[in-house]
Amino acid sequence: MFAEQAAPTAQGLLAPPSAEPPTFPRVAVSGYSDCSQPFQLGERSFARQYAHIYAVRLASMRPSLERRARSRWGNDIAVRRLSELQEGEECCVVGTLFKAMQLQPSILQEISEEHNLVPQPPLPKYIQPSDELMLEDELQRIKLEGAIDVQRLVTGTIVAVYGREQDDGRFLVKDHCFADLPPPLPWSGPSSDRFVLLASGLGLGSVSGEALLSTQLLVDVVTGQLGAEGEQSCAAHITRVILAGNLLSQNTQSRDTLNKAKYLTKKTQAASVEAVKMLDEILLQLCTSVPVDVMPGEFDPTNYTLPQQPLHRCMLPLASAYATLRLVTNPYQASLDGVRFLGTSGQNISDIFKYSSMDDYLEILEWTLLAGHISPTAPDTLGCYPFYKSDPFILTECPHVYFCGNAPHFQSKLLQGKEGQRVLLVTVPDFSATQTACLVNLRDLSCQPITFSSFGADSED
Amino acid sequence: MEQPRRITDSFPRRRRRGPGRPPGRLKDKKDKDKDKVQLKVRDCPRAPSQPPPDPALMEMLRRFDLSWEYGPCTGITRLQRWERAQELGLSPPGPIRDALLEHRDNP
Repeated sequence: MFAEQAAPTAQGLLAPPSAEPPTFPRVAVSGYSDCSQPFQLGERSFARQYAHIYAVRLASMRPSLERRARSRWGNDIAVRRLSELQEGEECCVVGTLFKAMQLQPSILQEISEEHNLVPQPPLPKYIQPSDELMLEDELQRIKLEGAIDVQRLVTGTIVAVYGREQDDGRFLVKDHCFADLPPPLPWSGPSSDRFVLLASGLGLGSVSGEALLSTQLLVDVVTGQLGAEGEQSCAAHITRVILAGNLLSQNTQSRDTLNKAKYLTKKTQAASVEAVKMLDEILLQLCTSVPVDVMPGEFDPTNYTLPQQPLHRCMLPLASAYATLRLVTNPYQASLDGVRFLGTSGQNISDIFKYSSMDDYLEILEWTLLAGHISPTAPDTLGCYPFYKSDPFILTECPHVYFCGNAPHFQSKLLQGKEGQRVLLVTVPDFSATQTACLVNLRDLSCQPITFSSFGADSED
Repeated sequence: MEQPRRITDSFPRRRRRGPGRPPGRLKDKKDKDKDKVQLKVRDCPRAPSQPPPDPALMEMLRRFDLSWEYGPCTGITRLQRWERAQELGLSPPGPIRDALLEHRDNP
């Protein structure tokens, strides 16, 4: 699909240079608007507790869940609060899920002296068969059992359950439903082929420099310095590059200097300084040619809690001289050429992966869209700013492209909704591991991977 | 619960002059400062130069704080909580907002 864009008169590389080298102007940038204002924090006050964000989440999503429940189980069902439940009555309750997990790392257990426990090593998954699900509304909570998959669901999801209360105080669930896809946005995409390149996990500053060649190849393809005229004319159709997080590698996060004495660490520099300089040079090459949106990720020098604020432009002195560089928040929402993009750097998906039995990143991504919330596990297991007025992670409109970065593999799926929503789900793979980036065609919402594998030390031939 | 009454309401505190201090003051400014300090000490719970708040109003505000429909009440001002309830469509009572805006300097 990308290769079909080659100019018809293009010659291969094995031809003598033409008298006048053709130039391919990049398609003009049109229609960009940044919609991520809810994720930008103005004042930051951490004096609040997290009860506010849960209360606001439930109060905001309750009307849409009640509508969904009525459309699914009939208009005349009784929607009750937990305090109004009567034993044996079939009714519907809307509330927040809480999953009590035995293996969930708890800071209180770690510092409790009477247990004398060694801190638990991080596990890939914290689920166990003995986990229990509880439904909480504003005042009470009740244990759930029945037709609900305990292993699959995570804390913080707003759900509507239909069933009845049993005599032992548990709620027997006959059926449950989530908020489902949010209402669709009108489609005003471009009529000609335009591509957006999604890449994540550049992993600069890592010990092994294998990914550096691939990163340079990526930059060369996008700026049109690679390949014959055919490839260059294709690259001219790329209108934007979005780097979805983890620009620095995990190695830059070493905290050894904190434990050592000051006189030993006086002359050492943080590993991230060199990595950010490399990032600046790479971004400089990209910015001279194409607009770039840089989202921070888990290992990048910005705040830890979601929503992560943009990287500061003083760290990228060479590249911030160009107006094409945009430092944006994580999660990021923008409208490019009439196509609404929404995505994160992958922390929300990997957090749900740890606490749920779902294994496939694309499945989890689809589930968050159906649950109507970008990251339900924040603030329980994922750090989150204590919002009090509104929860910006609730999905109010359906994006056209929904992506997450730092996934183990590339996957994509076009989801069709009942109200005419069309969403392209993309899991952007980790570039330092897979050397793969994604190209999204804005005209027909199709996606294809582009791999820059170079010859490693252990490959044959 | 009515406003706790202090003994200093009926018997205002007067700063005792140190021994050997001349009765007259060298500068007038010092006198004014001393008066202000006295006032502040007495009226610490409420803003100076305002009448004590209406106990019925305090009762209404307390009921607004403890009503569970509008979410948790700790960590945010009453006005912020009212605005949030309004945006979520929970229709909090209007008189509370008027009272909060009237006494804006006394949360």
